[in-house]
Amino acid sequence: MSSLLHFLRSTVFTKIVMAISGLLIIGFLVGHLLGNLLMFAGPEKINGYALGLKNLGPLLWLVRIAMITAFGLHVWSSIELASRNRSARPIAYDTKKSLKSTLASRTMLVSGMAILFFVIYHLLHYTFGIIQPNTYYAGGYRMESTGEIVHHVYNMVVAGFQNPFIALSYMIALAFMSSHVSHATSSAFQTLGVTNPNINKITSKIGPALAAIFLIGYLSIPLGVMIGVIKKAPPQEHMQGMSKECPDGPNCTCD
Amino acid sequence: MKLSLKVWRQKNKEAEGQFKDYALSDISPDMSFLEMLDVLNEQLLAKGEEPVAFDHDCREGICGSCSMMINGKPHGPESMTTTCQLHMRKFKDGDNVIIEPWRASPFPVIRDLVVDRSAFDRIIQAGGFISVNTGNAQDGNTLPIPKPDADSAMDAAACIGCGACVAACKNASAMLFTAAKVSHLGYLPQGQPERQRRVLKMVEQMDGEGFGNCTNTYDCEAACPKGISVKNIARLNRDFLKASIFG
Repeated sequence: MSSLLHFLRSTVFTKIVMAISGLLIIGFLVGHLLGNLLMFAGPEKINGYALGLKNLGPLLWLVRIAMITAFGLHVWSSIELASRNRSARPIAYDTKKSLKSTLASRTMLVSGMAILFFVIYHLLHYTFGIIQPNTYYAGGYRMESTGEIVHHVYNMVVAGFQNPFIALSYMIALAFMSSHVSHATSSAFQTLGVTNPNINKITSKIGPALAAIFLIGYLSIPLGVMIGVIKKAPPQEHMQGMSKECPDGPNCTCD
Repeated sequence: MKLSLKVWRQKNKEAEGQFKDYALSDISPDMSFLEMLDVLNEQLLAKGEEPVAFDHDCREGICGSCSMMINGKPHGPESMTTTCQLHMRKFKDGDNVIIEPWRASPFPVIRDLVVDRSAFDRIIQAGGFISVNTGNAQDGNTLPIPKPDADSAMDAAACIGCGACVAACKNASAMLFTAAKVSHLGYLPQGQPERQRRVLKMVEQMDGEGFGNCTNTYDCEAACPKGISVKNIARLNRDFLKASIFG
């Protein structure tokens, strides 16, 4: 019992919290990317996917709570560790050179803070519709398969990224995110002690590889909109006069 | 060769320090870095000034005393080399050389380039030992040790406790030092009885001393004059996790 209490108070525990919560967030990022790539498959697919997520009900909330907890613990552990690190070297060197460390590894706090601000911005934009409310409530979509009227996620994303400033802000945030992930993933395995010469061959490359996949995958959506590969869906004829059924309610622009 | 030195001068622990510039000439490329500092001190003494205090002992790269930051790198520009084994041929005529003490709150500057590294001793005291009965040593061959384990233990035991890992780390973390000390006993059968207690105690002491945390940037490994591997840090993390949950 005393060893467990000692464990909970130690900095190694704080780092383990950071590693596990970080790996959970990476898991979310993989799922989020796979879902988002449905933008290339057209409005029926991505709107249907969004509806499917909504229909998960309690399971969706379970995932949301897990993600909020993981994100909260990740931020808490970073504040805890960063404040300790700061006090461990109160007087800086006149000259200090980096020997082996990567730029990504040395700027984790900066990239982490950039990601934190981005996540808030991203939620305000595409989840709560507070930023660009006119594009968020872009009109409902009638599912061709079921006839159900759903939130037009596809057009919302297209309209969002048609604004070059919004698209640029997402691209900058993606650069920070991939820099963070490139160091974080391999680092998490080291912190959890999951290493041996064979495993290291994979874990040392998994961070940069995931960072590249995330960067290319997530960037492809705003870029796709900007170069016109992903175009706004044409209005559906049968949406005329359907404003009462539209999930956007009073903000509906279906008519 | 001629050199322009910028050296940290600090009278004592409480005093405020500052950099002071010195010009040196007729430095032989065959001198060691410490011999170059000896020349500087001879000149300062001749002028009636206080010599620059720096730690040194064996001058053959095994005691870990000659710790200083040279042009932003612990122990200077040559990898896997202590300051005493660094030669002036690694510098060019007319070079500017900045010499600073290690910077970490658990390593307070005592005077000029000398820091108090007792924090490392206290980490060792917390768990860097094995308990054996007194009496005759048993025959070595009665304790079979796999060759890879013996090699890894020896590699970890090469740590001379100089503090370059702390100096190089952007967080002033002592994880590489602590991990080396935990591993070099943990790899061997003699180290098993206290293996769990050792890692818990040494990490507790390391935290208590006020070192920063390891963020796996691995500058420590590159700065280590003995080439201690960061695989020891992963091993410490693993041992710590096991000891905390099952210990």
